[in-house]
Amino acid sequence: MTVYLEKLAEFSALLRQEGLPVGLQETADACEILSCLDLGDRGTVRAALQAVYAKSREEQAAFQRAFDGFFVSAEKRDALRRRHAAEAEALARRRAEAEQELQVNGQPMDLREDLQEVYIRMGDRSREQLRQLLEKTKGNLERSPQLYSNFIRSVFMRFLLEQQMTMEDAASGCEESDPDLALLYRDISHFRDADIPRAAALIAAISRQLDAELSRQKQGAAHSGKLDFRRTIRKGLETGGSFYRLAYRRKRRRKRRLVLLCDVSGSMLQFSEFALRFIKSMSEVSESSQTYLFSEEIHAVDPFALQNMDAFRDYVRASGLYGRGTDLGTALEKLCASRPAALGSSTTLLILSDTKTIDLPRAGRALLEARQRAGKVLWLNPIPERKWPYVRSIQTMQMLCQMLPCSTLDELARACRKMLK
Amino acid sequence: MDIPALKAKLDEARYIYDDSLVTTLLVALKLGRPLLIEGAAGVGKTEIAKVMAHALDRDLVRLQCYEGLDESKALYEWNYQKQLLSIQVQMNRQDPDALTRSLFSDDYLLPRPLLQSIRAEKPVVLLIDEIDKSDEEFEAFLLELLSEMQVTIPEVGVVRARTIPFVVLTSNRTRPLSEALRRRCAYLYIQYPSLEKEVAIIRARLPNVNEHLAVQAAQAIQRLRGSDAILKKPSIAETLDWVSALEALGISDLTDESARQTLGFVLKSSEDLEAGEAVLSGKSGEDEGCGHAHDHQHGHCGHCAGAGSQ
Repeated sequence: MTVYLEKLAEFSALLRQEGLPVGLQETADACEILSCLDLGDRGTVRAALQAVYAKSREEQAAFQRAFDGFFVSAEKRDALRRRHAAEAEALARRRAEAEQELQVNGQPMDLREDLQEVYIRMGDRSREQLRQLLEKTKGNLERSPQLYSNFIRSVFMRFLLEQQMTMEDAASGCEESDPDLALLYRDISHFRDADIPRAAALIAAISRQLDAELSRQKQGAAHSGKLDFRRTIRKGLETGGSFYRLAYRRKRRRKRRLVLLCDVSGSMLQFSEFALRFIKSMSEVSESSQTYLFSEEIHAVDPFALQNMDAFRDYVRASGLYGRGTDLGTALEKLCASRPAALGSSTTLLILSDTKTIDLPRAGRALLEARQRAGKVLWLNPIPERKWPYVRSIQTMQMLCQMLPCSTLDELARACRKMLK
Repeated sequence: MDIPALKAKLDEARYIYDDSLVTTLLVALKLGRPLLIEGAAGVGKTEIAKVMAHALDRDLVRLQCYEGLDESKALYEWNYQKQLLSIQVQMNRQDPDALTRSLFSDDYLLPRPLLQSIRAEKPVVLLIDEIDKSDEEFEAFLLELLSEMQVTIPEVGVVRARTIPFVVLTSNRTRPLSEALRRRCAYLYIQYPSLEKEVAIIRARLPNVNEHLAVQAAQAIQRLRGSDAILKKPSIAETLDWVSALEALGISDLTDESARQTLGFVLKSSEDLEAGEAVLSGKSGEDEGCGHAHDHQHGHCGHCAGAGSQ
């Protein structure tokens, strides 16, 4: 039993790393259930532990990954051992090769260890490309050794970043078992045309969830503390005039006005389309909403143009906004100057954009002004959060208002939930 | 009870299962945990509670959840009319304290499903159906019952369970349930059945149906479920209704024409019917977008696009 418990405790720790909220109770339950099952049957053990540890469909996907990694079958373990041995051998060979190849004038190149590691793990084709590039720029070495050294480092750094991004963009490993779930976590910009109906159905399902949450939040709103005499007396009549149940007046909910500023320049169109579908589901909380589309100019949108997404696309193309650059500064200035005023203290300004704009300082100033006028400013950014540190415009805008990542449908839904709170 | 015994009971109830479902049921039984079942509407979540009641030879107590459900409908309520009558009848009694005490006794208590299930002499199966339709407050209220198997009635005190019910909660995932509730349950997610499983279900439930028709109907249903153009996917109950209808009409071979005439048993909206006919006749153009007769310039249509807002 102690061995089980130790192993299960390790497995619980692994699940925690995978993001599952696993506590002591789950480990104890797993131990108890394993003691009365046939441990020789892998399928039974998997199903039993899954019932104990994974408490949602999303958690089940993470559990499956962790289980396959932790409880390896005998054949797989042998295959894995053989593969690891082969990989270690290949790596040692590549290290020796890299030492030879990464030399300048017979001296080892001045490179950080992690960058050297990038080169070692690079595919043959990429290594060849890199070698050619180094060869081509070798002439700069004599002219400015320091500059050359910086250049080499930046080239390696770029490869490192590209590698990281490829790793992070990879599907979360559940595409095969659950395509819908994979779509939820895939970058919206990577959606293919064939994915769009499935994504639309998924958005519809999430919107229904959001609506349900909203209606329950409304239902659950606490009372104001003031007695509602009329309703109390009416209820009392049911019990012969005795006031068994007191009725209270409900709190008045102050709804906010929503102003949406959507970037529809080129690559942003698809994201804006998806985001607008979500935001439409929020019409329940906002008293009224106004939508503006912008690229180099800004246009107020006729609400009928947003009735369905075909109409939305046609509208954007006809407006002349599509396929142009982005000028957030002008858009915000015009929005602030609009009469009657679009922004006020009870307004939430929602900006849907990737922050890539011409004249960033002017856009920053305009955003500051908009922030002073509006009650709240939120920025939904379709660029994945992990890439934010490398984009200057994002860092600037992030300092000026609250920015929420929205690169996937899941993040978009989370951002909508956050807006509702 | 062990896995073979549980399987035998499920076979007896003519319930078609897979191994992971049986293991999960056994986990919930052995640990005494409530079982939370999630899945799309019509995949057989509620049926599991009924089958477990049969398998364990227990009564089924059902609580159907809805918005606004509170403890007076789920746990208990005082019989106000009886209390008022009693007050009037015993108005001249010498001992008013005894009267007050008697008013909050079992004689005046109307037990609702939750209280019934924990006060039953013999253990029961308690089905809390569509928990996602109830409010978050009700979910929080359930926590005491699910973890401690007791409830608190202010006028009476803590009522502990006489017998421990086997609790089954179902959810269609119309909203996420709280972490606290999930943590107290064993979890099962049910997907739509595979072709083989669906044919087996038809065979088990409708033993007199022609084998060829059962396979054809199951294949058609799988195609409808696999189509992105169908918004409300057909449930297992709808499959059974459809096959029964075909059988009643004397249809033994599912042709395009017979499918078109009876598709209303499976698809329940005009848009889905239109798309379903296209899917079954092979004119859906799934690769280009969806099955609706719309302009497909952009690879998807207004029907699908508008779905999110409807």
